[in-house]
Amino acid sequence: MLIIQNQEIAHHQNEGIRSKWTFEELRKIPEFGALIAFLALFIFFAICAPRFFSLRNITSLLTIIAELGIMTVGISFLMIGGEIDLSVSSAYATAGFVFVTLANIFTFPLGSLLAFIVALLVSLLIGFVNSRVVLRGGIPSFIATLGMMMFLRGILLGITGGRSISYAGDSLVPSLLTGIMAYRFRPSHFWFIAIVVVFSFILNHTVFGNRVFATGGKKLAAYTMGVNVNQVKTACFMISSVLAGLSGVIAISRFSLANVSFGQGMELEAIAASVIGGTLMTGGYGSIIGAALGAGIMGMVRTGLVMAGVPSYWYNAFVGIILVIAAVVNLKLRSTILGE
Amino acid sequence: MNPKQPLVRMENIQKRFGKVRALKGVDFEVYDQEVVGLLGDNGAGKSTLIKILSGVYRPDGGTIYFQGEKVDINSPEEARKLGIETVHQDLSLIEKMSVARNFFLGKEPTKKIGPLEILDLKKMNRECMIGLKQIGIELRSPTEFVSTLSGGERQAIAIGRAAYFGARILILDEPLRNLSIREQRNTLNHIQEARNKGSSVIFITHNVHHVCPVADRIVLLENGEKLGEVKAGELTPEEIAECIATGQMIKVN
Repeated sequence: MLIIQNQEIAHHQNEGIRSKWTFEELRKIPEFGALIAFLALFIFFAICAPRFFSLRNITSLLTIIAELGIMTVGISFLMIGGEIDLSVSSAYATAGFVFVTLANIFTFPLGSLLAFIVALLVSLLIGFVNSRVVLRGGIPSFIATLGMMMFLRGILLGITGGRSISYAGDSLVPSLLTGIMAYRFRPSHFWFIAIVVVFSFILNHTVFGNRVFATGGKKLAAYTMGVNVNQVKTACFMISSVLAGLSGVIAISRFSLANVSFGQGMELEAIAASVIGGTLMTGGYGSIIGAALGAGIMGMVRTGLVMAGVPSYWYNAFVGIILVIAAVVNLKLRSTILGE
Repeated sequence: MNPKQPLVRMENIQKRFGKVRALKGVDFEVYDQEVVGLLGDNGAGKSTLIKILSGVYRPDGGTIYFQGEKVDINSPEEARKLGIETVHQDLSLIEKMSVARNFFLGKEPTKKIGPLEILDLKKMNRECMIGLKQIGIELRSPTEFVSTLSGGERQAIAIGRAAYFGARILILDEPLRNLSIREQRNTLNHIQEARNKGSSVIFITHNVHHVCPVADRIVLLENGEKLGEVKAGELTPEEIAECIATGQMIKVN
């Protein structure tokens, strides 16, 4: 009898073992909307923009997507955990500046590696400070991280006086992160994919991930079930800022130049990519693979429009439309799953 | 264990919120396999008292003894480790998560794959269905989101979860609120089921008719103080309601 019951239960599972790849099952996955949009836009640009569907373009597209995508993965994790981080763009620039400045000073062997580690530690610290301000200060993360965003950008401006810094360190970390490989692939493409796989796994298949969903879904309920919600949120803030920092170091390694306005406005692009990918701004629901697809959509629109002959000035207008459509479609999809 | 020794004893518990003294030195105990009704009007301090026992609040004064030993309960996590499972008024269920993920929240089973410790989703799905079936709850699927379930189903899951983890003390805060008549009856059955399996139950309500059918003993709170207590059958529900309304105990012969 028990065996029969278990078989029945196994039949119902769409988590753990996937039962059937029917349309009904497929549209229950949170990244479904983003996947359809991604494929539709890809086909659209492949038809409308000559040379869009070429290896050379796809690899250069991947370079942009990877840098935005790594940041988007981090901010999605935090958004699922129920908070927001506007300071990612500043963490991105700060980590880049720390990296360039230190790599230029550390002329000893493996100097750039040490600079890289320090840059990531600084990013982690930014996330930790954000979490303290939000959790101890009790203010909304929107305000706390807006403050952090302006503060860090101001510090960078103040210290550099607006001057750019060229990269003069050793080539170890830049080539490991974003050096050009065969067919113009770059390591950052593979780092990005690895990060998506690892963080998607953490979110869906670990105890910590389960508690991120719970904390973002209903903080008080999670707390009464014995979840240390402050610890979970702190970890999410740190994941968000360290991935933003990593993204910044990758981008700055690619340009070999750190500029004060680096990454300005990118926080909203990352949030948009995250929402397009099916993540709920109010927390408790979302997908890392969706976040990656969201970043992919943003990157495709940016280069695809230019290649289709549309002046790049139109980029934001298109992204705005896509964002709103995606938010509405994702809401509809979600309501069929959540029965709300 | 000495049967006369309470499973848990709260002594002279005090709690204030700003200038409001929510609890003014309350004594409260629960014995093994006993259903205690904690009864009082709105604002009497019932929820505050059980939130102290379940680790949500820290008391400003007083002592808690668990099986005769003094304990500090600093968080819900610590309370759950002692075997104190609570179903709060808002159910402690997360709507945007599946039933199975909710069921094991805070006590997630894991399996090792090499050096990695990962969620045992298969076990979660299987055990949650079995655990719920044991108290007579049939769900369509363990991966269904809680938001798709009715109030009665949610209540049943919350109680089933507490029972599954072998609660020594099961605390239910207004468990019959917003339930249909049939769901209320089912919930009362789940409570008795849990008691028969060895749990003690604290049943918080402001409605005397809810608690009388199942309670072995009823403790009355009034204005942050213990008004008194009655054993099952000593007073009629109407007399108990009178005590709450007037704030005075009727003499029991």
